[in-house]
Amino acid sequence: MGHHLEAIKNAVIRGKHAEIETLVQSAIEAGLDPDRIINEALIPAMDVVGKDFGSGKIFVPEMLVSAVTMKAGVDIVKPLLAGGQRHSSGTVIMATVRGDLHDIGKNLVTMMLEGAGFKVIDLGVDLDVDKLIEHVKAIRPDILGLSALLTTTMPEIQNVIGELKAQGLRDKIKVMVGGAPVDRAFAEKIGADGYGADAAKAVELARVLIQKKG
Amino acid sequence: MKLSPHNLFMSAMFGGRRGPRPPAGNPTSIACHGLMERAGVTFPEAHLNPNAMAELALAGHEVLGFDTVMPEYSVVQEAAALGARIDWGDRDKMPDVREFPNADLSDITVPSDLLEKPSCRVVLEALSILRRHVGGRVAIIGKVMGPWTMSYHMAGTQNFLLAVGMGETAKVTKMLRQLMPITVAFINAQFAAGADIVVLADHATRNLVGPYHYEQYLLPLHQEIASQVGGPIILHVCGNCSDRLELFASSGIDAYHFEWQVDSREAVRRIGDQISLVGNVNNPQTLLQGTPEDVYKQARYAIEAGVHLIGPECAIPLSTPIENLQAIVEAAREGY
Repeated sequence: MGHHLEAIKNAVIRGKHAEIETLVQSAIEAGLDPDRIINEALIPAMDVVGKDFGSGKIFVPEMLVSAVTMKAGVDIVKPLLAGGQRHSSGTVIMATVRGDLHDIGKNLVTMMLEGAGFKVIDLGVDLDVDKLIEHVKAIRPDILGLSALLTTTMPEIQNVIGELKAQGLRDKIKVMVGGAPVDRAFAEKIGADGYGADAAKAVELARVLIQKKG
Repeated sequence: MKLSPHNLFMSAMFGGRRGPRPPAGNPTSIACHGLMERAGVTFPEAHLNPNAMAELALAGHEVLGFDTVMPEYSVVQEAAALGARIDWGDRDKMPDVREFPNADLSDITVPSDLLEKPSCRVVLEALSILRRHVGGRVAIIGKVMGPWTMSYHMAGTQNFLLAVGMGETAKVTKMLRQLMPITVAFINAQFAAGADIVVLADHATRNLVGPYHYEQYLLPLHQEIASQVGGPIILHVCGNCSDRLELFASSGIDAYHFEWQVDSREAVRRIGDQISLVGNVNNPQTLLQGTPEDVYKQARYAIEAGVHLIGPECAIPLSTPIENLQAIVEAAREGY
């Protein structure tokens, strides 16, 4: 059984997107528990990918291919899980702020969070404050993840947090922020609950924030 | 040497006579709300109208005291001319590409009159206006996107980088090769229109790709571009690019515009004898959120490290306080 898990894990790490379907199918046919395929192969693989990315061993092109490979694996396994559902680690809304159309970081975080079992509602790019607040009210997520790639759009994150406060929503959700110009000091200054330096760190952070939320 | 802003800047571009002080320059946008108010123009007007574009660029010299004027504030002029749908933004929002015409990395259709399209024409006309006003006295900087950045705009960054990751080398190379002549033609047209220097912005940044991607796909193209253009080039690649400085220095460009994340002492030590260095005052923390004293200190650090031309590291946030930009000029005027 172990060799199936190892092969799936390696395929994700090395971005063997053409092979993943066959590997997962043969693991299922060999009687492997779908939960184990996710928890012992797909998720640990993305943890390795996240670490390799953080250390500069790989870059976005390789990470994207690994994420696509993982998603293909999850899609095969998902319908086989008890009740067709994974246990949700929490609900996260993801978006880039107004004026920012750059979504690659946000998309990577979304894929990684989904892989790690979070239910993610991806609102896309260029979200006005009002739209974001509307969705937060309707969905009541555990976490709101905001991204800005540009120094020109970064101040918009602060406006969102200000509006959450003004509307009495701030203490009901955790806010995590990220994007190339964003750092821990900025996150603290604007009153976010945390900052993720890259997609893997964002997943770690989301796990911690959910625990804190209790 | 006559100590005009133009001469100080051009001399520093080639590591020549230093004069009493380093030049303050901006290879990328220093447009902010304060400067727009002083110039009496705003966005999106300054992206679309050559007079407004030139007026705002002039304010960088006349109001702030920079030794350069640089009239292109967006990164999408070429993509617009190639037919990508552009949101030109407003006073608070930079323009960006809304829809990618070649999301599947299909063939790029280059119009034969590309440089006559309004989004290219406006830059060329603004450069000519600046030439008439300050030519020979202030260094006039143009700006053109390289094939890598244009690929982000035409295919979408994620689609393009996924193709790179999937190893679709032929497709990726074809797209870059189809776009490269646009870069060369627009650079040469900007020199002809009046630019003293042109910035080649090509975002093969460490935040996205590795040095090995740059070396495989882009370095040969940058070398070709450098050999085909008729004037000095500043390469702009933002992010922490410490891991590829030597590759940039071997690309045939004359200067590299770099970010605060790359330590200026290290950059000068490693490549400062091969090309000039431009930068590298931090935008998000220092220029946007810091005090004029913070900016002054960083600019002085860069000067003392041996950075040849002092300025912000990248296009500044629109809400940057004008006093913080003036602190860069003040640090430069202090001398070496």
